[in-house]
Amino acid sequence: MNDIATPISPASPNIAASTEAPIMTRPTGELVLEARNLDFSYGKTQSLFGVDLPVERNRITALIGPSGCGKSTLLRALNRIYDMYPGQHATGRILLNSEDILSDRGSLARLKARDGDVELNESGLDTSALRARIGMVFQKPTPFPMSIYDNVAFGVRLHQKKSKAEMDVIVERSLKRAALWDEVKDKLSASGLGLSGGQQQRLCVARGIAVEPEVLLLDEPASALDPVSTAKLEATLMELKKDFTIVIVTHNLQQAARISDHTGFMFLGKMIEFRPTAELFERPQSPRTRDYVTGRFG
Amino acid sequence: MSTAAIDTRTEDRPARAQSPLGETIFRTLCFSAATLLMAALAGVVVSLIIGGWPAFQKFGFGFITSTAWNPVTEDYGAAGPIVGTIVTSILALIIALPLALGVSVFLVEFCPKRIARPIAIAVELLAGIPSIVYGMWGLFVLAPWFATHIQLPIMMDFDSHSLIGRIFSGVPNGANIFTASLILAIMILPYMAAVFRELLLTVPSQVREAAYGLGSTAFEVVAKVMLPYVSKGTVGVIMLGLGRALGETMAVTFIIGNSHGFPHSLFDSGSTIASTIANEFAEATSDMHTSALIALGLVLFVLTFAVLAVARALLAGNKN
Amino acid sequence: MDRALRRKLTNGIFVGACGLATFIALAALVLILWSLVKEGVGGIDANIFTMTQPAPGSPGGLKNAITGSILMCAGGMAIAIVVGILAGTWLAEYGGQTPYGHAVRFLNDVLLSAPSILIGLFVYEIMVAHLFGHFSGYAGALALALLAVPIVTRTTEDMLALQPNTLREAGMALGAGRGFVIRSIIWKAASAGLLTGGLLGFARISGETAPLLFTSLGNQFFSLNMAQPMASLPTTIFQFALSAYDDWRRLAWVGALLIAVAVLAVNTIGRLLARETHRP
Repeated sequence: MNDIATPISPASPNIAASTEAPIMTRPTGELVLEARNLDFSYGKTQSLFGVDLPVERNRITALIGPSGCGKSTLLRALNRIYDMYPGQHATGRILLNSEDILSDRGSLARLKARDGDVELNESGLDTSALRARIGMVFQKPTPFPMSIYDNVAFGVRLHQKKSKAEMDVIVERSLKRAALWDEVKDKLSASGLGLSGGQQQRLCVARGIAVEPEVLLLDEPASALDPVSTAKLEATLMELKKDFTIVIVTHNLQQAARISDHTGFMFLGKMIEFRPTAELFERPQSPRTRDYVTGRFG
Repeated sequence: MSTAAIDTRTEDRPARAQSPLGETIFRTLCFSAATLLMAALAGVVVSLIIGGWPAFQKFGFGFITSTAWNPVTEDYGAAGPIVGTIVTSILALIIALPLALGVSVFLVEFCPKRIARPIAIAVELLAGIPSIVYGMWGLFVLAPWFATHIQLPIMMDFDSHSLIGRIFSGVPNGANIFTASLILAIMILPYMAAVFRELLLTVPSQVREAAYGLGSTAFEVVAKVMLPYVSKGTVGVIMLGLGRALGETMAVTFIIGNSHGFPHSLFDSGSTIASTIANEFAEATSDMHTSALIALGLVLFVLTFAVLAVARALLAGNKN
Repeated sequence: MDRALRRKLTNGIFVGACGLATFIALAALVLILWSLVKEGVGGIDANIFTMTQPAPGSPGGLKNAITGSILMCAGGMAIAIVVGILAGTWLAEYGGQTPYGHAVRFLNDVLLSAPSILIGLFVYEIMVAHLFGHFSGYAGALALALLAVPIVTRTTEDMLALQPNTLREAGMALGAGRGFVIRSIIWKAASAGLLTGGLLGFARISGETAPLLFTSLGNQFFSLNMAQPMASLPTTIFQFALSAYDDWRRLAWVGALLIAVAVLAVNTIGRLLARETHRP
């Protein structure tokens, strides 16, 4: 038991729950992304323990759990953004359309120890291309210090040469999908930093979807927003799942219940229960999940 | 899934964005620049050692202890400039430290916020004025004033053979060790005040408020709570000020009088290491003269480096 | 009661002493600026900018010195900005936490506080004694560059460190490489801060005299040839101020005023910009 008492976990009322096998109801549809038996560690501190996460295409998958439970870590493993930081590494499998994006971890870890960051790893998996297929939106809005237009075009320009006309189409379509077009169409050349917090976050969504990723990861995207902006963002996400697959980390249970199709409850670095959202919230099977969704802790 | 998905595996992506080669080149450039910095400093040290070697070889330890500095007989001893450097710097520190403490405490504790910021900016601007301006001001304004209003009256009042008379003896033209120290003090005061102010601002407000809450007066809060809290850093600030004073060249060159002998009184003219180099280097014709000046430079480097290393260690210790 | 009174009295004296110290510091600033204005403003006329330095007793200006200063400062800053920003970027984004990074940071601090005259000695040894065999504007520019580089490096590192990590992650999450993120996002976000570093570096070197004395030496004629000895405002001021001629001294005051105004202006702009960057 002691080996999983990680420093990142808060005082837990009932550690015994973590030893139970996860309660999983796997989605019936096609999986676009799947984590299998994923371990993750920062240096010597392990923060994920054999986590499974199936992500169904064109659905919203929510990850909930108390702070420090590993839900953000899991999200950051899925597009390997942790590669930026030496000393962090994941083991297990992450399948994107059945292709394992972790397969080279041994050689990568060695390279990272020497070099700090590596773009192209030995097995030929290009993390740059990987991240074009798995987009990410962060907790705090991260508009780049450039115009609204250039913000949206940024990712596209990385990966493809486009004519001005083609780019105009992409920018307009992305901003429309992110429900921001009407608010910014007259000031596309204005700085993205001048927008309100909610608008900035939708700009980041537009930027993320402009490269047409298969999966969009959102890390507590509404936690810095007011209720009106949150509602707009949620409506946007519901709209986006027609074209994209979404994984969202949230500490707002109502939000998870409102917008997601599947919900995973995590605790102390483990997946405790993963089921269709309505079932998980109405009939939680693990006592720990029940305690959390009824507000007894967390 | 969207039909417009970008095929990221095609080869016609713009190369500049994420080619591993471009990444490596940029990274290597950054690394080279950092290494160039180290090389520059190493170059300074090595060139001083090589350039000063003949002088050290010829005069040995006597280079530091002898007061001879005679380009005609090619006999060089640096005790005069070395003592001049240390005396002026320490005098400057003695004058500037209480003032710097007073300024920073006043700005942090007593001054209304609205006035504190403009004053703090003014003090920092004082630190930015080029040293040659201080030098000119010292030569044309401070020195004459000092000679008429301080030096002459003292010389009138005290017999030149009495102890006090000897301490203050010298040519009454205002260009001497003391006025040089005064100018140095004015120069390092704003710098020390600025660093010390930042240090005082690191004292957590709860600590201050707790002390006030016990009924302490402002003096007691500062003297018994805040100063002890930043004690190590205070020594660091002093050393930083000292380091500046040691290496300052132009202001001192203007006003110290530039004589090579060992200074015998506060109002005697003298020289510092930096002022000696500034005055003589471009005109040094013999190799030994040049070498002796470079050897002086090495002594100055060692002095300032030691002071800086101590300052850094103490300032770093205060952060914990 | 007696004790309370004594405490109050001590406190009053202390507060008064602190106020007095501040007054003295400000008075020094005012006195110096006043002398500069009083002695310098009267001497400013068109000749200052259109004529080269005169023989004692004849009319003249500071054209050669001003031009030399601008050329050497510009040359020095060009080197300092390139090297400083790259080195600061390496410290903030790549290797700052490695042992080598700590060493670079420490030696940068040593360079920052090394007496400027020693930098002059070093450049003399390299450029004047060996490479060129004579004094030159290039040697002056290199000496100034070495003085500005540590400031630019340090400011760059500080300003880049202020940028939130999520900004880097957001760039990389779109598939951009680390270096591309730095160049196209982080540098842009910190641009005001980077400019501040350049301005502070410029403010430091524009008044530097000591390292120029035996690198660029000085030149009484107008010259744009940096391979030859070159005049500069600070060395000209030094020469004129210590001369016995009243008209040369007047020119020295004018030069000092010009430098002080330039440095104060550049410093002020730099500080204002720095404050902008602190609020992202």
